[in-house]
Amino acid sequence: MAGPIINDTTTKTKERKITIDPITRLEGHGKIEIFLDAAGNVENAYLQVPELRGFERFCIGRHVMELPVLTNRLCGVCPAAHHLASTKALDAVFSATPTPTAIKLRELFYMGQYTHSHIAHFYALAAPDFVLGPSAPSMKRNVLGVVDAVGVPIGAEVIKHRSYGQKVQEIVGGRATHPVFGLPGGVSKQISEEERVQMETMAKSCVEFGKFTIKLFHDIVLANKDYMNLVLNQDAYYLNSYYMGMVDKNNKSNFYDGDIRVVDQQGKEFLRFKPSEYLDVIAEHVEPWTYMKMPYLKKVGWKGFVTGPESGIYRVGPLGRINVCNGYTTPLAQKEYEFLAKTVKELGVTGPVNQTLAYHWARVIELQHATERMLEIASDKSITSDDIRGPYKEPKEGVGIVEAPRGTLIHHYASDKNGLCTKINMVVATTNNYAAINTSVKQAAKALIKNGEVSQGLLNKVEMAFRCYDPCNSCGTHSLNGGPALEVTVRRKDGSVQTTQRNF
Amino acid sequence: MAEPLRIPVKVLILGVGNPILSDDGVGIHVARELKKRKMPGVDVDELAASGLELLDVVRGYDKVVIIDAIQTTKGTPGELHILEEKDFERSIHGSSPHGINIATALALGRKLVPNEMPKEVVFFAVEAEDLVNVSEKLTPKVAKALPRIVEQVERELS
Repeated sequence: MAGPIINDTTTKTKERKITIDPITRLEGHGKIEIFLDAAGNVENAYLQVPELRGFERFCIGRHVMELPVLTNRLCGVCPAAHHLASTKALDAVFSATPTPTAIKLRELFYMGQYTHSHIAHFYALAAPDFVLGPSAPSMKRNVLGVVDAVGVPIGAEVIKHRSYGQKVQEIVGGRATHPVFGLPGGVSKQISEEERVQMETMAKSCVEFGKFTIKLFHDIVLANKDYMNLVLNQDAYYLNSYYMGMVDKNNKSNFYDGDIRVVDQQGKEFLRFKPSEYLDVIAEHVEPWTYMKMPYLKKVGWKGFVTGPESGIYRVGPLGRINVCNGYTTPLAQKEYEFLAKTVKELGVTGPVNQTLAYHWARVIELQHATERMLEIASDKSITSDDIRGPYKEPKEGVGIVEAPRGTLIHHYASDKNGLCTKINMVVATTNNYAAINTSVKQAAKALIKNGEVSQGLLNKVEMAFRCYDPCNSCGTHSLNGGPALEVTVRRKDGSVQTTQRNF
Repeated sequence: MAEPLRIPVKVLILGVGNPILSDDGVGIHVARELKKRKMPGVDVDELAASGLELLDVVRGYDKVVIIDAIQTTKGTPGELHILEEKDFERSIHGSSPHGINIATALALGRKLVPNEMPKEVVFFAVEAEDLVNVSEKLTPKVAKALPRIVEQVERELS
């Protein structure tokens, strides 16, 4: 196969406004607007995202026990994360303590979610840039082009292991996509020994696939000097933000439970809090051009779309988690974590990894960890116990937090004494990242677009700055429209369209 | 490990959408109606997600009828568009911010597991009015069109 196409030829535009518009409702419709100054350099850039309307109103007055099933409808990609955050919020609302078996089953289920979510992102969404190149023709720069380049057998392994993750989620959660098993203090469904063995077998295969993915990442990204130049380009893909993520008591990364830890620009612990304390930590900033709020660290304050010790912008997700933890509880993920630490140290990085494109590396390490943890739990014969439901009390108010594949996910409910919902607040992963994503988009656009010179490859490199966050913007809608297309509109100064470039 | 076995059933009716997002859930509403009719040799299922997950669901069937919402520039709410896989060829496209669409997923399946893919995929796309407001109900025009759409899908299979 030919090598990836990193750069393409630019053309000069006299326009002042460039729009990157993925005209899709499929998994969330976002639009990037880039405004040029008179010299053709980037003055400003915005990422606009829509939001579903009326969800809070829809939930108020319903029984809180319905919420784990309703809230997971917010997302077709990470419903398991919503289901678990919601179930944990119900644990708190009902002062319920889940049994050890229930905790294991919830976590096993969740490792299934991580496995298929991270596989889908890496192979279907990130790999086109890495395998074919950010400037490859857009008709080729997709998952089908990746299969053409790497071959059908590897492609078949990808969909097989994605399905395994989904299958584990289905066996434990009761349904493939939108699970129904979470209850305050436990889960509703016991698993059989036969199901356990089936999951153990699939998990073993997934661990091997995790190893394969890490090797592939080394071969196609780390070994490619041009990519490493992109990754290390501090003008385009570098933010010295705060980072947030969940850790266990030893500061090992944990996706299901623990304290939330925030580190500063030196990698030192800045804050550590329990789910119920989140409102003391996070405040929300509002901008006139978007409906989505922008959370920031209350203690630091909002300073606009800049990062550094004075700005409360933080990042969540794989890069956030890898920066707040000191490693993983499983050996293969830990080994790769140490390799990453050694590699960045040799590159002169001290403190957190601020290179935005390192999200991808963190994500494949997390895939490995999720598969190992899945195997650990699936190999534990005690998970077939019928002790799946703990005691619970009168309902009141409670907060549940998990690490969704895309970052920290917060559900907060209040209930009256009859169990009817009186208040609901959710801070989803992409919302936590929204201010940072905007800052990254602006930074990449400023660094890459100079003197009005644009090309499809350059605009894709701007898009790479937000794609690596794996953003998930109000993705509860699945109509046949469009699909995740990319449309670039060049407008005259009066706003009329001069040319439109589409990748579909 | 071998792929999980599926008992061969000829036809799958698949309602796609989000049942709490107004007209986005029209495919689910139609599928639920059709399920009540217990058509022999026909499985009826719901899919709230799209993308790669579709491949797990359609494999092993001879024919799949996908019912989903759509918004076209000149469509009127409740209008039915009957489409084939080739109508979506232009929708197979480049890297996306998040997820891949149905057309890309089917094309990927035809490349990777061609023998397990349905020979025929038909799309019943219902013109939607509201895809942003959270509601379990369809908008009136789409709700009114529902019985006719159910009949048309039935006719397609008879």
